[in-house]
Amino acid sequence: MNGPESRESPAGGETPQLGQPDHVDIRSELLRAARALADPREVQATGGHEATSDLTVDEELVLHSVGWEPVELLSGVSMFSVPVGSWTWGRGEIGSATAAHMHAFSAAVARMHSECTKVGGHGVVGVQVEHTVRSHHISVELVGTAVRPASSAKAKATGEAPVFVSDLSARDFSLLHASGWHPVGLAVGASYVYAPRRSAKDAMQQKTQNVELTNFTEAMYSARELAMERMQKAAIDLRGSGIVEVKVGEGSLGFARHVVAFSAWGTVVRLVGQSHRYLQPVMVLPLDDANVGFGLQALRGS
Amino acid sequence: MASGRLAGGPFTSGLTVPDFAACLQMGLEPVGFVQGFCVMKWGWYGANSQYLRSGSPYGASHGQYAEQWRCPHGFVSNEHRTWGQNYEQPWVEGAWGQGFGSAYERMLQEAVACGAHGVVGVVDTSMHLGDTGALEFHVRGTAVKVVDGPAPHGGIPWTTYLAGQRLAKLIEAGYAPVAIAASVASVRVWAYCITEYLMGGNAGTWGMQSSTSEIEQVAKAHMAVRRIARDHVRGQLAGDSFLGAQMSVSERELSEGDQVIECTLRGNRVRRFKEFDPLPAPRPTVRLS
Repeated sequence: MNGPESRESPAGGETPQLGQPDHVDIRSELLRAARALADPREVQATGGHEATSDLTVDEELVLHSVGWEPVELLSGVSMFSVPVGSWTWGRGEIGSATAAHMHAFSAAVARMHSECTKVGGHGVVGVQVEHTVRSHHISVELVGTAVRPASSAKAKATGEAPVFVSDLSARDFSLLHASGWHPVGLAVGASYVYAPRRSAKDAMQQKTQNVELTNFTEAMYSARELAMERMQKAAIDLRGSGIVEVKVGEGSLGFARHVVAFSAWGTVVRLVGQSHRYLQPVMVLPLDDANVGFGLQALRGS
Repeated sequence: MASGRLAGGPFTSGLTVPDFAACLQMGLEPVGFVQGFCVMKWGWYGANSQYLRSGSPYGASHGQYAEQWRCPHGFVSNEHRTWGQNYEQPWVEGAWGQGFGSAYERMLQEAVACGAHGVVGVVDTSMHLGDTGALEFHVRGTAVKVVDGPAPHGGIPWTTYLAGQRLAKLIEAGYAPVAIAASVASVRVWAYCITEYLMGGNAGTWGMQSSTSEIEQVAKAHMAVRRIARDHVRGQLAGDSFLGAQMSVSERELSEGDQVIECTLRGNRVRRFKEFDPLPAPRPTVRLS
């Protein structure tokens, strides 16, 4: 999406209208800001409100452009235990580990949902999902920004839609919104499956060969299928039409290399308009410097 | 100390060339690369510590987070963890605030010495000084003057982590940078028996744990530490907004069943200086590079 230069109001219609950028005198804007800071009496009722958010300036701008605003920085955390002995050799799915992952994710989302309701948000965007798998517990940590319609008219138009939690960025949320879709929640699926041992005979025979380790391949497929199925079921439970931005994490565990883990999560979406609204992108040749320069990572310190 | 150097000579700046160019375009002139340092040693357990209450630093004062858990088993043995507690550690938060705040104030003093109106592109770091047990705070940024701009309110320059194009977008969005805002929250977790068992994946002497259960005490500590950090920042806002938050959380196990969870939150305190003026719907583009 383009930067903030365009100032032409959108006309009505199904597709967002494209305006010609007009000149913005950034120097006079900066002077105005400096005067406002120098004399706080100059700051009149400007429609600002106390809010906290982890959105970037770009994201906040694009969120405003579709009539939404940030409210509060929120988090949701949960940690579930994995009983001793769960990772020992066996066959099939490790039910306790899978359940721990699924329960931890659901509880973290539920907490974020509850926090969002408390602060008057209509949903949470840009949720960063982190999960940690340790031998005796699995934790899920979510951080995102609660958002709401910026005006009461917009809130009315949004209606009584249930509070949503989404890992879509504010930019993607805005694009989805412009296309006539709405996020309804986060769906997750996880599975932990044993890769069974090869027999001693197979191991000896294959020692000097290039062979596929079908026990691992099959375990991977099994875990994938179970996890994706659970994620899709979660989407059905949320009455969504589909899931976008599906992310997957897979591989064997460091402390249990004979276990294959697979997790998938994404934002469940639903069409709220009559039909999908097609956006017509414009091709551009950017002239800006690719150098990011000021890295936010630097804030974390060495 | 640096006022003589900062008062004259060529300007210094930590800005990249694109950010430097963007600042000039906006009417911001760099005047000096300003820095503040502070090295802190913690002394929470000393005889004169303000945090000692009845001989113990633990327990919460009014308004601070604390929760307790009681063992459901009754007396089992002397080693049995019959109670557990989560509690906020204000002395850690205060010490961090003192170190960070001092370094920040010193950076501002240098900016004032330059005659600056603001400081852009602020970066702050903290690191341990070898094995001395001391922590060094370093806050730095580029002091700037607003061409034809008024002196800042109270003579104190505004500050922001943003610079260049990002700062230009902030201004155009109708926000003026007020100050960087940062906080640390620290919560100590003393596990009670159930937490200890669940963290170890078993049910202690009560048999094997057969199914998964939530480790409520630790999960609540994680929720609390994030909320406290956010509330500390909120306390600095005075009606302004907080954008571009960066949250990081760390855990340290001090001994079995005793851990500390810390959350650091940083971002930009901004103030709306003009009427809310939303942009039209952005134009979707396809980049050709």
